[in-house]
Amino acid sequence: MSDDRLDRLNLLPGTLDVLVLKALTWGPRHGYAVARWLEDATGGALQIEEGALYHALHRLEQRGWVTAEWGVSESNRRAKYYTLDPAGRQQLVAQTATWTRYAEAVFAALRTA
Amino acid sequence: MSVPRPQLPPGIRRVFRLAVRGARIDDDVQDEVAFHLEMRTAELVARGHTPEAARAEALRRFGDPQRWSEAMGAVDRERVARARRVEWGDALRQDLRFGARALRRTPRFTLLAVLTLALGIGANAAVFGVVKSVLLDALPYARADRVMQVYSRWQDGTNDRGPLSAAMVQDLRERNRTFERLAAFEGLPRDAVLDAADAPRVVRVAWVEPELFRTLGVSAAQGRALREDDAAADTAYNVVLTHAAWQQLLGGDPRAVGRTVRVNNIARTVVGVLPREFVGPLGAVDFYFPRHLRGALRDPVRARGRQFLGLVGRLRPDATPEGAARDLAAIGAAMSREFPDSDGRFDIVAMPARDAMVGDTRTPLLMLLASAALVLVITCANLAGALLSRAIARRREFAVRTALGAGRGRLVRQLLTESTLLAVAGGAVGVALAAVALRALRGLALPALPPYADLTLDRGALAVTGLVALATGLAFGLMPALSAGRGDVQGTLREEGRGASEGRRARSMRGMLVAGQIALCVSLLAGAGLLARSLWAMAASPLGFTPSGVLTASVQLPPGAGFDDPAARVRFIEQMEARLRALPGVTAVATTGELPTRTMNRNGYGVEGAPATVGPSDNAALYQTVTDDYFRTLGIALRRGRAFGPQDRADGPPVVIVSEGLARKHWPGGDAVGKRIRFAGNDPWSEVVGVVADVAGDPTRLQPYPATYLPMRQSPWIGPVFLLRTAGDPAALAGSVRRALAEQDARVPLHDATPMAAFIADGLSGRRLPVLLMTAFGALALLLASVGVWAMFATMAAAREREFGVRIALGADRRGIAALVLRQGGRWMAAGLVAGVGGVVAMTRLLRGLLYGVAPFDPLTLGLALALLLVCATLALLGPVRRATRTDPIRALR
Repeated sequence: MSDDRLDRLNLLPGTLDVLVLKALTWGPRHGYAVARWLEDATGGALQIEEGALYHALHRLEQRGWVTAEWGVSESNRRAKYYTLDPAGRQQLVAQTATWTRYAEAVFAALRTA
Repeated sequence: MSVPRPQLPPGIRRVFRLAVRGARIDDDVQDEVAFHLEMRTAELVARGHTPEAARAEALRRFGDPQRWSEAMGAVDRERVARARRVEWGDALRQDLRFGARALRRTPRFTLLAVLTLALGIGANAAVFGVVKSVLLDALPYARADRVMQVYSRWQDGTNDRGPLSAAMVQDLRERNRTFERLAAFEGLPRDAVLDAADAPRVVRVAWVEPELFRTLGVSAAQGRALREDDAAADTAYNVVLTHAAWQQLLGGDPRAVGRTVRVNNIARTVVGVLPREFVGPLGAVDFYFPRHLRGALRDPVRARGRQFLGLVGRLRPDATPEGAARDLAAIGAAMSREFPDSDGRFDIVAMPARDAMVGDTRTPLLMLLASAALVLVITCANLAGALLSRAIARRREFAVRTALGAGRGRLVRQLLTESTLLAVAGGAVGVALAAVALRALRGLALPALPPYADLTLDRGALAVTGLVALATGLAFGLMPALSAGRGDVQGTLREEGRGASEGRRARSMRGMLVAGQIALCVSLLAGAGLLARSLWAMAASPLGFTPSGVLTASVQLPPGAGFDDPAARVRFIEQMEARLRALPGVTAVATTGELPTRTMNRNGYGVEGAPATVGPSDNAALYQTVTDDYFRTLGIALRRGRAFGPQDRADGPPVVIVSEGLARKHWPGGDAVGKRIRFAGNDPWSEVVGVVADVAGDPTRLQPYPATYLPMRQSPWIGPVFLLRTAGDPAALAGSVRRALAEQDARVPLHDATPMAAFIADGLSGRRLPVLLMTAFGALALLLASVGVWAMFATMAAAREREFGVRIALGADRRGIAALVLRQGGRWMAAGLVAGVGGVVAMTRLLRGLLYGVAPFDPLTLGLALALLLVCATLALLGPVRRATRTDPIRALR
């Protein structure tokens, strides 16, 4: 990934999948909506090529964590909607726990004077 | 009325959604990316960017759309492919489970089908096992396809595979342009006596040019094969032995190479042991002795006159078998012109070694293969008919499944799965049957087959059987499956299942299947009948002597044991005969040099006072040395003159007894007594003292060969065969003969003691095998065809049960009902019989060469075949027709 904007953070490996899963917890969304949610939720701090986001969505579908279906968007366009599968929800819960523990551990270590 | 489409279960929805092709995947990915870029651009425009800038920014944020689209497409394609595999496997498992359940529900049908198939496939596997080991497996030589065998062919038609003279071999060797090397060998192995540790034993020795082994492309398993210098005068005592001889005569001694063996009282050195699988052109042999043609070529007259050599050759790399055959034939023609007296009556023929060894077995084997294939076709037709009925009976089930959304392809697949299941089960049982059958065949067939054949179901035969089973499954499953897929869903669902009679199409299809079975069955039965009649004619044709009650005992007089003097041999034979005559139960004893068989010695002879055009080379007759009681012992009738007696002494005038055929050929009325013949140009004339009945030494030849008999006293052989006639069981005498021989002279080994009748039967074993197998196939076909006829009538009657009920309720005659059923099915049976006549014509054309003493269209055989089929078909008819006439009108109408 090209890195011409130094004010944004590179994504740690494995992070994208769990973020995409999280984006779908509120119901079926198309890829653009997932991208928008990610921007809003992180304040635009993360450095992600949007193509990678789509690649991740397709990978998650292949793993059986999300289901994709064609539907009609708010603007009346044909769009592909992704829905979180029960398996994907489980995955999200597990990975969230792992991430939280990891982040807390790193944070605790960094906080010591 | 339309059947409402039910809510589809999610599984099927997933199945349909998976039907996405590669192009669709790419389009979807493009759409998805395009949608994203449009939305992002619109958003940026709304925030105040120019459309161009917005578009550029959207693209920049997305990354390389081309690359990402490809990555997404790849993921999707893999997902679809994997899902398809899973789906396919699921469906197969489901089909198999469903098919197995459906078959379990009808155990009688399943059992019958599997058994029928097992017989059909088993018959094919067994015959294919034989055919493969005889016709397809390679001879155990290096580049075996380059090895040819060379024969003389006698223009008078009496010998297709005659031997060659030493001069012929030399000419062929010098003049041919197609052979890398040629190796001659004495055409018949000789019996010799081996001094074994315990007792002397008779062994078979082949005298061969050392070149033989290099020509065949065979090297020794131990030591070395013979080589050129082994035939030199001072080293001619080197020998190689076969694997079997190494095992039986030397006990498999690991240090056999270098050992000395005494054969015919001469010490010889073993230089090599041949590999286990080695098969020579001479059949079963113990020792190979080196022989040079120099000796045979020394006397120019004998070099051309004595034909006793076999010849094999290895083709040059640039030569073809056909070219080589032409080459040798041309040389043979030239020799005939140059040496009309000796070579004028012969052509030279060369054929691939495999063809030479397969010989007469090819036609019967191909015929058996065809018969087995016919049985399989009948099996298929039978099962196709049965499955057709089954498919009709299950129409309701199929209609329901179709209504529930199962596609036609799915139904066809389900039915094919069922029939393949049946075929695989049938094939497995069939292979087991074939293995058993081959074991039984081995004892029966091996004497009739070429020496290299071993009857086993190897991997190749199993693979072919597996393919046959699968093809069978598809073949007999296809038609019913297709007809089931074509069903009229709504009509079937609306109709009462029981009342529905089968459609015209299905009925005529089954009718044709049964007619075909009958036609094939008639052909097979007729073929088997003709072969059986031939065998019977052969076995019953007058032999000219009475073999039953006679024991034959061959002995071999070892050289150097005092028998080199002819008088000593005569003395031994006379003393031995006296001992044998004294045995209890023995009524007559005689001795001969050779038993009447198909491979007897033949000699040319000349007739005194015959016209000059009939030279010595024009006549050949069997040449046999016998003692005085020979004709009485074998029951050969004396037609004129006398048998041999004490007056025919070694120092007396030479005498001969001739066969009736020979006498009639040369003297009007066969009045040969007092006339004279001689066997070589400068021999003294022999006076004919008697004429005896013709003897058929080869039961497969219609015309007995002319024969001459010489008194044992005047030309005693070193391998006499004693003949003992007894009122009891001849085999029981063997022990007494062995003891008598040991008392007479312990150094003389008994070679073989066999009842004469068994000897004759062996000559017919090559003929018995096809008769036996074809009769078995005919019986199998008859059984299958009967089942087919029964099934046809049963289904027809069952389908019209309701109609019959109505008719009976309305007062119809039960006999009329029976006639109705018979008329409907009888047409197809008649059609089958008519078509069968065509099959018989084809079959007899194939069989013609194997028939003996019976016309190809023997009315008795054909009539019997038809009658047998009709009887079986009628028995098969009884059940269904009875059932039809007993239809209970009340039950049928309810």
